[in-house]
Amino acid sequence: MGTINISKKYTAREKAYIPAILIGMKITMKRFIQGFFFRKHDTIMYPEAKRDYSQRFRGMHFISVDKNKTENCTACFLCETICPADCIHIVADERDEDENPYGVKKEKKPISFDIDSLRCCFCGFCEEACPKDAIKLSRNYELAVSSREEAIYDLDHLKRDVKGRG
Amino acid sequence: MEFFDVAQLLAKILIVVGAALGVVPVMVWFERRGAAWMQGRVGPNRVGPFGLLQPLADVIKFIFKEDFTPRNANKFYYYLAPMMALIAPLCALSVIPFGSKAIIDGHEVILQIATMDSGVIFILAFAGLEVYPIILAGWASKNKYSVLGALRGSSQIVSYEISMGLSLLSMLVVYGSFNPHDMVAWQASKYWGVLVNPFGALVFWISIFAETNRLPFDLPEGESELVAGYHLEYGAMKFALFFMAEYVAMIMASALIATLFFGGYALLPGMQTLIDLIGAQFAFGEVGLQNTKALFEFLSICSKIAFFMFMFVWIRWTLPRFRFDQLMDLGWKILFPLSLINLVIVTIAVYYFNS
Amino acid sequence: MSNTEIEIKKPKMDLNYTSNKKPVHSDTGPEAKPLPKVTIDGKTYEFKPGDTIMEVAERYKIHEEIPRYCYHPGMPIAGTCRMCTVEVEKAPKLMTSCSTPAGDGMVVHTKSEKVLKSRTGVMDFLLTNHPLDCPVCDKAGECKLQDYNFEYGPSKSNFKEEKRIYEDATTKKLSDKITLNMNRCVHCERCVRFTDDVTKTNDLVMVNRGWHKELEAADPDKGLTNDYQGCLTDFCPVGALTMNDFRFKKRAWFLEKKASICDRCSKGCNIEVHSDSDIVYRYVPIHNEMVNGHWMCDEGRVSYNDLMNPLRIVSPLLRHQDSLHSTTLQTVLGELKSQMLSANSVQLVVGTDSTREEAALLKDKFSDSLGKKVDVFFHNGTHGVSTSKDDVKLDHLLRMKDHTANTRGVEETGLAPLSGGQVNADIVVLFRNGRAAVPSMKSDQKVILWGVWTYEEVKALPTQNVLGVIPGHATIEKSGSFKNADGIVQKFHPAITHRGGAVSAHQVVSTLKSLN
Repeated sequence: MGTINISKKYTAREKAYIPAILIGMKITMKRFIQGFFFRKHDTIMYPEAKRDYSQRFRGMHFISVDKNKTENCTACFLCETICPADCIHIVADERDEDENPYGVKKEKKPISFDIDSLRCCFCGFCEEACPKDAIKLSRNYELAVSSREEAIYDLDHLKRDVKGRG
Repeated sequence: MEFFDVAQLLAKILIVVGAALGVVPVMVWFERRGAAWMQGRVGPNRVGPFGLLQPLADVIKFIFKEDFTPRNANKFYYYLAPMMALIAPLCALSVIPFGSKAIIDGHEVILQIATMDSGVIFILAFAGLEVYPIILAGWASKNKYSVLGALRGSSQIVSYEISMGLSLLSMLVVYGSFNPHDMVAWQASKYWGVLVNPFGALVFWISIFAETNRLPFDLPEGESELVAGYHLEYGAMKFALFFMAEYVAMIMASALIATLFFGGYALLPGMQTLIDLIGAQFAFGEVGLQNTKALFEFLSICSKIAFFMFMFVWIRWTLPRFRFDQLMDLGWKILFPLSLINLVIVTIAVYYFNS
Repeated sequence: MSNTEIEIKKPKMDLNYTSNKKPVHSDTGPEAKPLPKVTIDGKTYEFKPGDTIMEVAERYKIHEEIPRYCYHPGMPIAGTCRMCTVEVEKAPKLMTSCSTPAGDGMVVHTKSEKVLKSRTGVMDFLLTNHPLDCPVCDKAGECKLQDYNFEYGPSKSNFKEEKRIYEDATTKKLSDKITLNMNRCVHCERCVRFTDDVTKTNDLVMVNRGWHKELEAADPDKGLTNDYQGCLTDFCPVGALTMNDFRFKKRAWFLEKKASICDRCSKGCNIEVHSDSDIVYRYVPIHNEMVNGHWMCDEGRVSYNDLMNPLRIVSPLLRHQDSLHSTTLQTVLGELKSQMLSANSVQLVVGTDSTREEAALLKDKFSDSLGKKVDVFFHNGTHGVSTSKDDVKLDHLLRMKDHTANTRGVEETGLAPLSGGQVNADIVVLFRNGRAAVPSMKSDQKVILWGVWTYEEVKALPTQNVLGVIPGHATIEKSGSFKNADGIVQKFHPAITHRGGAVSAHQVVSTLKSLN
């Protein structure tokens, strides 16, 4: 009672194993011939060929800049606040009045903006929280680094030119 | 012993061992690329043309890896196991005939390293030795996963050796000889063994998969349940020896099944005509004709070995692996009784036909 | 007032927008007149004649239901913001609860539909010209405009015209402490009333009318001059007035808030220490009618900077070949103990900024733990203040002349003041909390520094013969009690955890005793 028997009765053909094995071997031989003679494969030659990801793919972060290469970020800390992985660390300061043609719009600036990509879970909440559309996630999925220090993206790294959304 | 005898013996040993070890990297490459083709991938293609130098890169990596020995391992057996694993199948290769005979400088050279009447028994003995490196490796490295892998491997090999031996026995009844040359001669004059005793051939073939620990019977290894298996504590070249041993064992097994069931070095259909044609063309004389025949015989067995090597790869990438109890069920409850019955039937048939 | 002991606790409401009025009870007696009663939201409360509706609500801690911008319990009533309007039965219009006196038998509704609609309307008007730059505004997170808009405000604005912008006053420095952003102002005029009635400096005015109404310093050349400018940012309900010291440093919601006491002067203002990861970002006053009311002076407000000084010594130092080297506490104490034992005379000078408990501990236990008689004195030394008798008020509000927090408390332990402010022993141990002055000494005086010191202070010492430094906890890092200038004893507990190598005085004394 209460149990469901999902095992099925095997036919004599299935029990004999050999026919099923032969069918399987036929399939693999077909694929072998396709691969060996016709060079057919479903994978891509990765570093040379790259997949095009969707517009909605969430990859490496960047910070959008304006015409003068000034970051749009005003260090409002909303991304740091929403970040579920606690990976964004901002230090804010006032922009020098002499270097600030934007007036009150950009009077606050981040003097350091670090994203610890090792902690980041690429949820994209920072992008949603950002009131200035400053922080965004690009379609760059090549995140490999050779040291832990490199995995912490600083402001200069985040302000680089990015082909992606935006 | 004359100088020529020593020289030809050494030359044969060098050629066979060299060829067997030389085929290993090619097989490794072919296995990886073949797997890729069967799975719709590309496979290793970066090192050298078509990735042919990939095994070389692997070897370099193996050589430069740290040669690590576990502290509590039994050093002697720990080092003995990989050597034995490679040596046992290499030794078994010594009684495989790769041709009838060649005539060099007026001397008859039999294309077999060790010419002995009890050749098949010798092969069986060394095939039986293959269980020892597994047990030694598993036990000597003092690791519970290794021991578990070794237990699986040894019980599997011992179990399948019975059905393998019984099917072999049925062929011995047919051929009436232990000498591989006699077997080949019998098959060349009558039929291939596989036609006489197809069921014996099938059982023998299945058992060979278990003997060489190849998929679908690669139970001594298992990443998910045993971390690696009996060679868990082996690294660098010691692991490479196990790796090579697997392929040498495959070559040995392919050569054995080719000799026993598929005519051995007996000429393939059409080859005799070709030899006659060449003989008529160049007028070699008696000696030249015999040497050409030996060459074609060698080609014949090599093509058969190549075919069975390909089968190993093909089967490996087609079938999923068995569960261990299923493996034992198959060995003891199906193959063993069936091969027994087969032996009885073959014996009666042989008695009936011979009388 | 004297000898009252109170314990500093965090108030229920942030930024002390409320007073600590208590519920009143009818006198019991033959001639007692019954107190008048008012009904607020269906419940009847007794009140003192003359209370406004808001004050009644405060007495019974139901004030949080009445939003307000211009009302502040520490200032006179203005009634300009119209946010606190409530419905009074039989009154034709909504009444401002802050300015309407409660009457006997009055029935008040604070949450009726009419009231809520009124509040929505008020919010809509206030937000017409508010720039909504919350992401860059430092008030965000503790902003009443945000809070009340979330609670009562319209979900969308009816205002479709362009917002008013004060071109000259978007980021205007009213003084070196305060920055004004006039665009954010909601014209509650708390700041103006504060300078009029609390500091009585009259240095803020509203100029112009209506659309052009603008806050300005009374003398634009001098700007703000009073000593309580930080309070402006406390009670400014929006981000119009922000403190330069805290501006852009940290968002309000990251701050961890713990109560403590300001040790900048002998007043002992109750403060809330706002810190994140044990880094202090600001001090904010807590309302305490007996000590500081709602206010706090600017010197005290920025005094956390001394504590967060990167040059503060937080690891034990020992002299080795003319320079001080960092090492373990055991090594430092062992070496210093042997030097003190071999010296002819040792003096311990306790700063009057140490807690009562520390002063008592050093007086009773230091000689014992060292195994040698040590003369213990206390020293204050701020601008001619040597004992609490010299302490005077600097203005009518809070600021005191004595820059140490516990002069009266240390005196109480029975310690004698350092005569003439001059030390004369072979080795002098200076214990202080970062506030007490250094006594005068010979130029080759051997000294041991103990407590809160910075490298700058060590360099500025009259002597360079510093044998070692034992780092100690600052006021907000330890618990203890101060007796302030008015004789009120206030206990406090650690507001932040010390992350350096400093140890408590108790631990130093016990370690000294255990060393051989």
